[in-house]
Amino acid sequence: MNIEFGPEFESFRQEVAAFLDTAPTPDIREAGRKTTSVFAPFDQAVAWQKILHARGWAAPAWPKQYGGTGWSVEQRYIFAEECRKRELPPLLPNGLQMVGPMLIDLGTEDQKRRHLPQILSGEAYWTQGYSEPNAGSDLASLQCAAVSDGDDYIINGSKIWTTLAHRANRMFMLVRTDKTGKKQEGITFLLLERTDYPGMDIRPIIGLDGIPEQCEVFFDNVRVPKSGRVGAENDGWSVAKHLLKHERGGSAASPALLHNIARIRAAAAATPSPFGGSLSDDPVFQRDLGELEADILSYRHFEQLAISGHPMLRDAAYPSMNKTMNSELSQRVSIMMTRVSGIETVPLQLEALNVGSNVAPLGDDFDLIAMPYYLNTRATSIYAGTNEVQRDLIARTVLAANR
Amino acid sequence: MDFLFTEEQTMLRDSVARYLDKTYDFDARQALLRSGAPHSKAAWQQFAELGVLALPFSEDVGGLGGSVADLVPVAEAFGARLTVEPWAFALTLAGGALAAAGDHAAARRHLADLVSGACIGAFAYDEHRGLAAPAAIALAATPTSDGFVLKGEKRLVFGAAEADFMVVAARATGQAGEARGLVLLLVDPRAPGVALTPFRTQDGRSAAHVRFDGVTVAGAQVLVDDAHDLIVRLIADAILVLAAEAVGAMGALLRITGAYATTRKQFGVAIGSFQAVAHRLADMKIAHAKAYASLMYSTALAEAGRLSARDVSVLKAQVGKLGRSLAEAAVQTHGGVGMTDELAVGHYLKRLLAFETMFGAPDYHFRKIGGSAA
Repeated sequence: MNIEFGPEFESFRQEVAAFLDTAPTPDIREAGRKTTSVFAPFDQAVAWQKILHARGWAAPAWPKQYGGTGWSVEQRYIFAEECRKRELPPLLPNGLQMVGPMLIDLGTEDQKRRHLPQILSGEAYWTQGYSEPNAGSDLASLQCAAVSDGDDYIINGSKIWTTLAHRANRMFMLVRTDKTGKKQEGITFLLLERTDYPGMDIRPIIGLDGIPEQCEVFFDNVRVPKSGRVGAENDGWSVAKHLLKHERGGSAASPALLHNIARIRAAAAATPSPFGGSLSDDPVFQRDLGELEADILSYRHFEQLAISGHPMLRDAAYPSMNKTMNSELSQRVSIMMTRVSGIETVPLQLEALNVGSNVAPLGDDFDLIAMPYYLNTRATSIYAGTNEVQRDLIARTVLAANR
Repeated sequence: MDFLFTEEQTMLRDSVARYLDKTYDFDARQALLRSGAPHSKAAWQQFAELGVLALPFSEDVGGLGGSVADLVPVAEAFGARLTVEPWAFALTLAGGALAAAGDHAAARRHLADLVSGACIGAFAYDEHRGLAAPAAIALAATPTSDGFVLKGEKRLVFGAAEADFMVVAARATGQAGEARGLVLLLVDPRAPGVALTPFRTQDGRSAAHVRFDGVTVAGAQVLVDDAHDLIVRLIADAILVLAAEAVGAMGALLRITGAYATTRKQFGVAIGSFQAVAHRLADMKIAHAKAYASLMYSTALAEAGRLSARDVSVLKAQVGKLGRSLAEAAVQTHGGVGMTDELAVGHYLKRLLAFETMFGAPDYHFRKIGGSAA
C-alpha cells in the first residue's frame, strides 16, 4: 500500500493554489459562497469557466487532445480540493461532465469538432432533456416523439426538470422514435444546437427555495436536423446509459462535504448553547457532528480508493453506491446546517442571495444559505435516478452474486 | 497511491484461508466450542507454522520484521471465519508490550516463545464496564521498596486462563483520568494473589476477569514506565487488527445474507425480490463498502506511520456502528432461523457487537471527532 501523493504533487498543489488565490474575481468568490445546490449562480459560473479555460483548466477530466488537462486522477482530486477550500463556485456540470465526455466516447468527428470547443470555452450551455411529466425514475417510458422527415426530425411532446433551460443555448435529449417494440428500444439521443427553434417553449419552474432553476420545455412540431443524433436511431438508451455513468460516479465530492463540516463547526462556535458556553462545547452536538463527520470520512476513504483505481471500481454497484452515499451525506450536512442556524433559517432572503445584490443578508452567509441549501439538497436523492432506484441496482449485485 | 496488498501479504492470507477452509468451517468451530476447549491448539500451531505469529516482530526474536499493517489481510480472513483464537490480542497488545520493553531479558524470552507458538500471552487492560482510553486506568500498583503490590480487578482479559504470561496495565501514581503514572508490568498468571474467573465470551472466545489481591511484582518485572503513550499506540494497533477481523466478518455476512435472500422463497418468490428486503441488502453493501474503505485507508496510513488518534477514532467508531447495523439487518433478513444458534448469522452479530464495545464505544469516538477539528 502507498498513501503518499508523492513530492511531484506538492509542487502541483502550489501551482494550483497560486492561481486560485488570484484568478477569481470578487463576483465569482461571492457566487461560490452563495451556491446552494450543485448548480452555482449561472453568470459567475460561466465567467469562472472562461478564466479557467484561458489557463487550460476548464475540463480537468478530459483527454488532452480535446482540450483537457491531461492530469492524473490524483491531480484532479487536488484541484477539486483546492477549489473547495476557497469556496469557489463549481462549474456547471452538464456540458463539461456529461455531454463532453459522452461525445468524446461516442460522437462523430463532426459532432466533436462542432461541440467540444464551445463546451470548453463556456459559450455553449447544455440543458438535459430526459425526464417527462410521466417519465421520471421510469425514464424508458418517455413519450416525447420525434418523427423522421427527410434530413430532419419533427419533435412533439414535453420535457421537465431541464435544469437552467431558460439560460441554456443547447439541449441534449431523449426522444421516442419507435413505439412498437420494447420501450428501451425505441429511444433516440439528439443534440439540439439551439433552444429557440420555432415551436419550442421554455417555462421556468420556481423551486422550493423560491428560485427558478428547473424548467419545463414544450415541443410543438419542432424541426431539428438529424445531424444532431448520437448513435443510431432507436439506440439512444445505450447512449443515455453511457452518459449516466458520468452523472453518477467518478466525482470528488468529499472535499465539499468536509468544507461544510468546517463551516458548521465555525458557526457552532459562534452560537450560544442553552446549557452555557457555545454550541460547539455541547456534548450532544459534538457527538452528532462527529458521527456525521466520521461517515463523511469513510466516504472520503471510499473516494480515495476509487481514484487510486482500486478493483472495487469494477463492481457494477459502484456508481450507485457513490451516488447514494454522496447524496445522503449532503442531506445530513444540510440538516446539521439548519440545526445550527436555528431561527435564522426562517426569513426568506431571495434578494440577498443574488450575487452583487445591494440587499445585505439578515445574518451572516452561513445563515443565508442554510435553508436554501437544505431545500435544494432534497433533490439529491431524487435526480439522476432516485435513491430507491439506486438501491434496487445495488441489491441486484448482492443477489446476482448468488445466481 | 494504491490500496492493494502486496504479493507476499496476499500469499499469506491465501494460505491462512486455505488452512481454515479445510479445518475450521462453521461446524468445526461449533464442535470446538462444544468440546469445552478454549481454542484450537492445532490451529494455533498452524498459525505459528504459517508465520502469522512472527509477522509483526523483529528478526532478532525470530520474527519476520513486518508491521501491524501486515496483520490486516490475515485478520480479514480470520474474521470471515469467526475464529476464536486470541491471536490479535496476544500479538498486538501483549506482544507489542514485550517488544516495547527493549532488551528486558524475560520479555525477550516470552516474545521468542510467542513467535514460535510455544506460549500465549494476555494483556490485562479493561476495567469495570470498559475503558474508552488508558488515562482512566485505576488498578493500583502501589510502589514498595523493591517493586509493586497490585490490588484491584481487570476485566475481559482475552486468553488469560491459557496465558503463560500476562502484561498488566496499572497505575503506580496519580489517579484515574491522569495520563501520567501508568506502568506495564509482566505478571505470572499463577502468582499468589492472582484469581481468575474464566468464561466464554458471547462470540466464542475464551477470556477471564482477573482479581489481584495484594500481588507482589518485583521491580525487574516493569516492562515500560510512564506507559500512557505506549498503551495508546498498542490499542491503536489492536483496533486496526480487530477492525480488520470485523470487516472480514461483515463481508462474509453480506455474502451469506445475499445467498439466503436469493434462495429463500415466500409468497412464491425469492425474498430478495421484495423491495423492502432488497433495499436492506443495498444498505448492508453500502455499510460494508464504507467500513472496508476506512479499513484500507487506515491500514495505508498505519504503514506510512501516519495513523493519527483521530483516524483511529474514525475507524473504531465507523466499523463498530456499521458492523452492528449490517449484522442486525442480516438477522432480520434471515427471519426466524436468524435467531437460532445453529446458523452462523447470529454468531457474526455477536462478534461485531463485541468489537463495538471495546476500546471506546462509537459514542465516545464520535464525540472526540466532533469536539475537535482535524
